[in-house]
Amino acid sequence: MPHFLRKRKSLTVLIALILFQFILISIQIPLGHEQNYFEKAVFSIFSPVQHGIISFFRSIGNLWKNYFNLRNVQSKNQKMKEKLFLLRQENALLRNALQRFKSEKEIQDNLLKMHENILAAQVIGLDASNYYKSVIINKGILDGLKKNMIVLDKNGNLVGRIIDPISLKESRVQLITDNESGIGVFSQKVRVGGVLVGDGQGQCLLKYVLGTTKDISEGEEVITSGFDRIYPPGIRVGKIISYERTDSLHLQIKVEPYFDFRYLDQVAVIMKDPKEFFEN
Amino acid sequence: MRDFIKVFLVIFTVFLFNAILSKISPSFILLFNLFSLVVIYFAIEKGEIFGSCLGALCGLLQDYFSFSFGVYGVASLAKTITGYLAGYIAKKIDVHPLLRSFVFILILVSVEFTLWTLLNSLIFTESVYTGRRLIIFQPLITAFLGSLLFFLLRKIKKE
Repeated sequence: MPHFLRKRKSLTVLIALILFQFILISIQIPLGHEQNYFEKAVFSIFSPVQHGIISFFRSIGNLWKNYFNLRNVQSKNQKMKEKLFLLRQENALLRNALQRFKSEKEIQDNLLKMHENILAAQVIGLDASNYYKSVIINKGILDGLKKNMIVLDKNGNLVGRIIDPISLKESRVQLITDNESGIGVFSQKVRVGGVLVGDGQGQCLLKYVLGTTKDISEGEEVITSGFDRIYPPGIRVGKIISYERTDSLHLQIKVEPYFDFRYLDQVAVIMKDPKEFFEN
Repeated sequence: MRDFIKVFLVIFTVFLFNAILSKISPSFILLFNLFSLVVIYFAIEKGEIFGSCLGALCGLLQDYFSFSFGVYGVASLAKTITGYLAGYIAKKIDVHPLLRSFVFILILVSVEFTLWTLLNSLIFTESVYTGRRLIIFQPLITAFLGSLLFFLLRKIKKE
């Protein structure tokens, strides 16, 4: 080692580390949102640790919870029966709504395809950079998960889709509230189509709806249209909470997603490659 | 060797703690930076080389928690410089008294925070998530917690 470097060993280490990190950053940046092997490796190493920690604390919590659950299981059962009844009603309403624009057989096929292939998963981690961007679930490649698979909440409302990185037992779900998410949707009553993007703050914006559109109203339900070729048509997304006519060409429409972030502990993954929904 | 085991155990505890906190509420991770405290503590104890290396490692772990939008090296770079500065300054002045320790950590975490924000704005088009501006209080709360923790640790060590 040259005399100069030996004399200033600490400074040399610092410069070497800084250089290493600059190189590290620069090899990741040009790829944009594509995951490189380094990111995949780090995700694969650390996500099981996080998974283990959360599972451990969850099992302790569950022991305690189960004790109390046993005590009021009857009343809960009654409540669940009522809820099931309401969900059935809701399901029937949804089918009716879908019938307006799709043939019966097509809807039946679509719904059947979804119900046959549902996998329950638990949320084990949140995105600390912005918790409305993505979550990590405890299912991965070994469970058959693939990129772009649809994720729903307990009530069948749209939560998001599987994105990279996917490790053996964990995967990341891009939420519909992420400002980089885009979904083809339309309003159920007026059938106004547009692109739903997240605002990164827990809500969504319905974009590209022309300002000349009439009859749009607050409280109107928004469902997926299938035009994006990722999300199959007819999935409940949210409701319009406000709209504004401005000088621009398009309306400013705010949509509140149906899924509740606070209760997003369990989700359902539709184990079907989205492409299969759009075949034929 | 004992030092490395000690560092490993501390980092693992902080990682575990962060994982639990992020599950309870992600806002907690925005409020204080435990990885910074680990880096500063060991940099004071072991010097700037150890501090900068540990900074690089802890920064990568912080990047894992997605503070840098999934790009590894951003928090790591800021923490390397913090670790170096902490070790270097601690050699020149006594940073052990409680109030001095508070000011010392506050300055270092503020420098790290500024560096990290600058790097983020240079690299990403997306603005940093502030958690309803909670993140602004991070240097102050970290300094408060850190000075108390360091003070207690020294007391325990003496006894």
